[in-house]
Amino acid sequence: MTDFLAGIDFSAWALHALVLLPLFGAALIVVLPARLARGLALAVTLAEALVALGLWWAFDPAAGMQLRSSHAWIPAYGINYIVGIDGLSVFLVMLSALLMPLCVWSGWNAIETRLRGYYALLLVLLTGMIGVFIALDLFVFYVFWEVMLIPMYFLIGVWGGANRLYAAIKFFIYTMAGSLLMLVAILAIVWHRAHANGGAFSFAYDDLLAYMATGSLGTLKPWLFLAFALAFAIKVPVFPFHTWLPDAHVEAPTAASVLLASVLLKMGTYGFLRFAIPFFPAEAFAPLTQAVVVALAVIGIVYGALVALVQPDVKKLVAYSSVSHMGFVMLGIWAMTVQGVQGAIVVMLAHGISTGGLFLLIGMLYERRHSREISAFGGLARVMPAFSAVLVITALSSIGVPGTNGFVGEFLVLIGSFGPHPIAVGIAATGVIFAAAYLLWAVQRVVFNKLDKPENQALTDLTRREWAILLPLLAGILWLGLYPAPVLRRTEPAAQAIVDHVGTLAPRARSAHVLPGN
Amino acid sequence: MASFDRMTPLDLADPASMAAALAPELFLTGASLVVLLFIAWRHKTHADTRWAGWLTLASLVIAGAILAGMAVSGASALGLPQMISLDAYRWAGGALVLVAAIATVLLSIGYLEREGIVAPEYYVLIILAVVGMLCMTGAADLIVLFLGLEIMSVSVYVLAGYDRQSAFSAEAALKYFLLGAFGSAFLLYGIALLYGATGSTNLQIVGSQLAGARLSVMAALGLALLLIGLLFKVAAAPFHMWAPDVYEGAPTPITTFMATGVKAAAFIALMRVLMQSFPEAVGAWSVPIGVLAGITMILGNLVALSQRSLKRMLAYSSVAHAGYILIGVRPGTPYGASAVWLYLAAYTLTTIITFGVLQALGRSGERDVTLDRIAGLAEERPGLAFAMTVGMLSLMGFPGTFGFIGKWSLLNASIADGERILAVILVLTSVVSAGYYLPVIMSMYMRKSPGPGTYADARLGRPATLAVAVATVVVLLLGIWPKQVISYADQTSNELRTMFIQQGY
Repeated sequence: MTDFLAGIDFSAWALHALVLLPLFGAALIVVLPARLARGLALAVTLAEALVALGLWWAFDPAAGMQLRSSHAWIPAYGINYIVGIDGLSVFLVMLSALLMPLCVWSGWNAIETRLRGYYALLLVLLTGMIGVFIALDLFVFYVFWEVMLIPMYFLIGVWGGANRLYAAIKFFIYTMAGSLLMLVAILAIVWHRAHANGGAFSFAYDDLLAYMATGSLGTLKPWLFLAFALAFAIKVPVFPFHTWLPDAHVEAPTAASVLLASVLLKMGTYGFLRFAIPFFPAEAFAPLTQAVVVALAVIGIVYGALVALVQPDVKKLVAYSSVSHMGFVMLGIWAMTVQGVQGAIVVMLAHGISTGGLFLLIGMLYERRHSREISAFGGLARVMPAFSAVLVITALSSIGVPGTNGFVGEFLVLIGSFGPHPIAVGIAATGVIFAAAYLLWAVQRVVFNKLDKPENQALTDLTRREWAILLPLLAGILWLGLYPAPVLRRTEPAAQAIVDHVGTLAPRARSAHVLPGN
Repeated sequence: MASFDRMTPLDLADPASMAAALAPELFLTGASLVVLLFIAWRHKTHADTRWAGWLTLASLVIAGAILAGMAVSGASALGLPQMISLDAYRWAGGALVLVAAIATVLLSIGYLEREGIVAPEYYVLIILAVVGMLCMTGAADLIVLFLGLEIMSVSVYVLAGYDRQSAFSAEAALKYFLLGAFGSAFLLYGIALLYGATGSTNLQIVGSQLAGARLSVMAALGLALLLIGLLFKVAAAPFHMWAPDVYEGAPTPITTFMATGVKAAAFIALMRVLMQSFPEAVGAWSVPIGVLAGITMILGNLVALSQRSLKRMLAYSSVAHAGYILIGVRPGTPYGASAVWLYLAAYTLTTIITFGVLQALGRSGERDVTLDRIAGLAEERPGLAFAMTVGMLSLMGFPGTFGFIGKWSLLNASIADGERILAVILVLTSVVSAGYYLPVIMSMYMRKSPGPGTYADARLGRPATLAVAVATVVVLLLGIWPKQVISYADQTSNELRTMFIQQGY
């Protein structure tokens, strides 16, 4: 496989193809008749997934940042279109691209109005997501980060549920508020660097990173860190910035919910790992910040779980469970040990697969019954045995039962964080127990109990299309749970690099708690 | 490559050279007379009015060609420019004014017919206003600046009240006239004081007289009055009180003209006066300008948030945008001047889109177009809805549109100067602005229209469609490929600076 990829010189065009393919697809969909839209969207996303899959073999864990390329965009201000991937971004790119065909396929029958718009927006969203993960120029990163808002805003606002207008605008304004402050911070860094370098501008990630390590921004630095951190914290979302999330997730159509949970939330944690922490290691790991972030992460874990416990709407339940899971990611990142960071990356992937799966399953249920109230169901295992089995497996993986993907990441996070933050780990571990409580209880009420509602008697089980959507996710759940080594091997150098970077620049951050063997 | 003969510098003491330096203005003055003669002959029907419009359009295009020719051939002045500047900032500013005027004419042709206004003189007034605006963007002398401002203002006062059937239009004209007269008086008093302090009205001589010493009380007072006069025209708080009523009451194409042409001419003149006459006193004017910028952004955006009528919302948002642009004026650097021009260009193009679509939706002054009145527009008129969406996103400063490039360069100019608080106010108020721009998109795309055929008569007519479509495409293109337009803006504003540096002030 590697030979084949080398034979077609995969590195030169792969990332550009990933960005441009969906854009061309979207343009085609807009001009061609509406009846071709969904087929075309599926074809384009499948091609995209194929290219992304190639990254698995083309990626060399030891090589650091790779598949780089740079094209001038606004030369007067040193803005270049620079892209590349490393162990941190490669799986997020793959996750985005591989989930997309499933999302397109999930709306096959559910979306009946304005087909062209729907599928074109999904494809534009895909471009935005990939772009965010591969951009290595802060201007380009910012542009992708913002542009992604528009398709998501329309997907929620046009094809969403009853309260969609409120959810869409809330999502948009929350994200925009954070990211605009980040833009100011980016410009401040660029200008300080330009003044120090005799007026030479650069927005390139590497240049700014080098400047941040040596240059002195003095008292400005904490403020800049705050601006970056706010933008990412809203996206993660870190408690108390999470209030947009339940609204957006619940109102969004299935595909948008899946992408929100599986990919968009990861942009926040990715931003911390890629930008906020490497740029501001000393600020990020100052005792006060560390205490605040870890406290918020733990509050998020427990609060998200407790609120999920009492939700009558199963979609809202999964939405709050995301708040809880993302708390684990934050905890793992702020442990700043190799296990912690790797655990965070794996939780990001695992949550992407499991929660994406849960939203897809809820979407299938909603298509049949037009209700998401837990109380509307019960005893589905009798009429929909296959659906119920898949739901149970996905729920177990979301809980983090050993043997599923959820376990690996959360376990690594807890191990990695135990040294630096033992008390936090103790509280966070209860989050796992709560997760078992709210998910198993919900599964019990939906799938088991008595089949006492007449409307549920005639429900049909999974169709072939639905099987095809769910099987890749099931495979991912089990593969990542049983044999995570290939993923861990590919992410380890990246995690190590971040930990080393922080260790040299903010020695206090790496306390004596680092476990032996690291 | 064949050597391109640059025009030899014009000696402005020589009348023939002065005429050459004023070619676009003189040509348009002549054109206004031709159109006036045509009107004397034909002035009874809609067709006559339309013909006057086409004549006006042709003369504006020719004036643009003359301006472009002067820019390309590198017309420059021998020694200190007398009366009129010959530099890139003038060409750039003139281009904005002409684009605004051409769009206004295109929007007006269908509008006048629809509203039943048979009055070909309307177009003569537009030409005269453009002559005034061109004088303002090129003025090298305070007197020329004042003349330009008055020619422009008087024409626009009349245009604002052109819909004689409408009480609101009359109210707008009266309000604009009374308050505008105050503005002009302030400006003139300021010029008089500056003349008293320096013995000249030439911008650069004033600059050289004021250089090297603390600003005297008289000069400072003159500067303050001058600023008030110009800030009046750009509708910056607290001199914005007239703007919402006037913008709302005036015929919509004239509102477009005021929001684009008048604003651009006044900002270009403001930038030129500050950078050529008061380069060293930057400490004296940057603080008040910064404070006013902050007040204008906050006030304009917050009040726009509570408007029901779209036209009035856009009027307040226009106030807010004046606040944004003041951020670029504040540092008094070439980056600032470049950002001011870029933002004006972005705002001009975007405003053509938004008011253009607005006028397609409404009747008799568009005062009653609210969010409810555009519900579901996207299903029936996807083109209009798309253009409006691009307009709203560009006003919001969203990446992928020209508005973002403008906002980005304003932030850039401010941060380059070490001013971060205004930058933060700019982005926070932009978030507030999403609160009133987004509902427009939302209403068009995410709500159901009251019934099929609601928008059957939402027509723009071909000329206006052309203006809106071209503006939409350009806003998107320049948002994605801003390279050339940014370096053009940087070049023009560099010239604004090097002039006084070269001349040893």
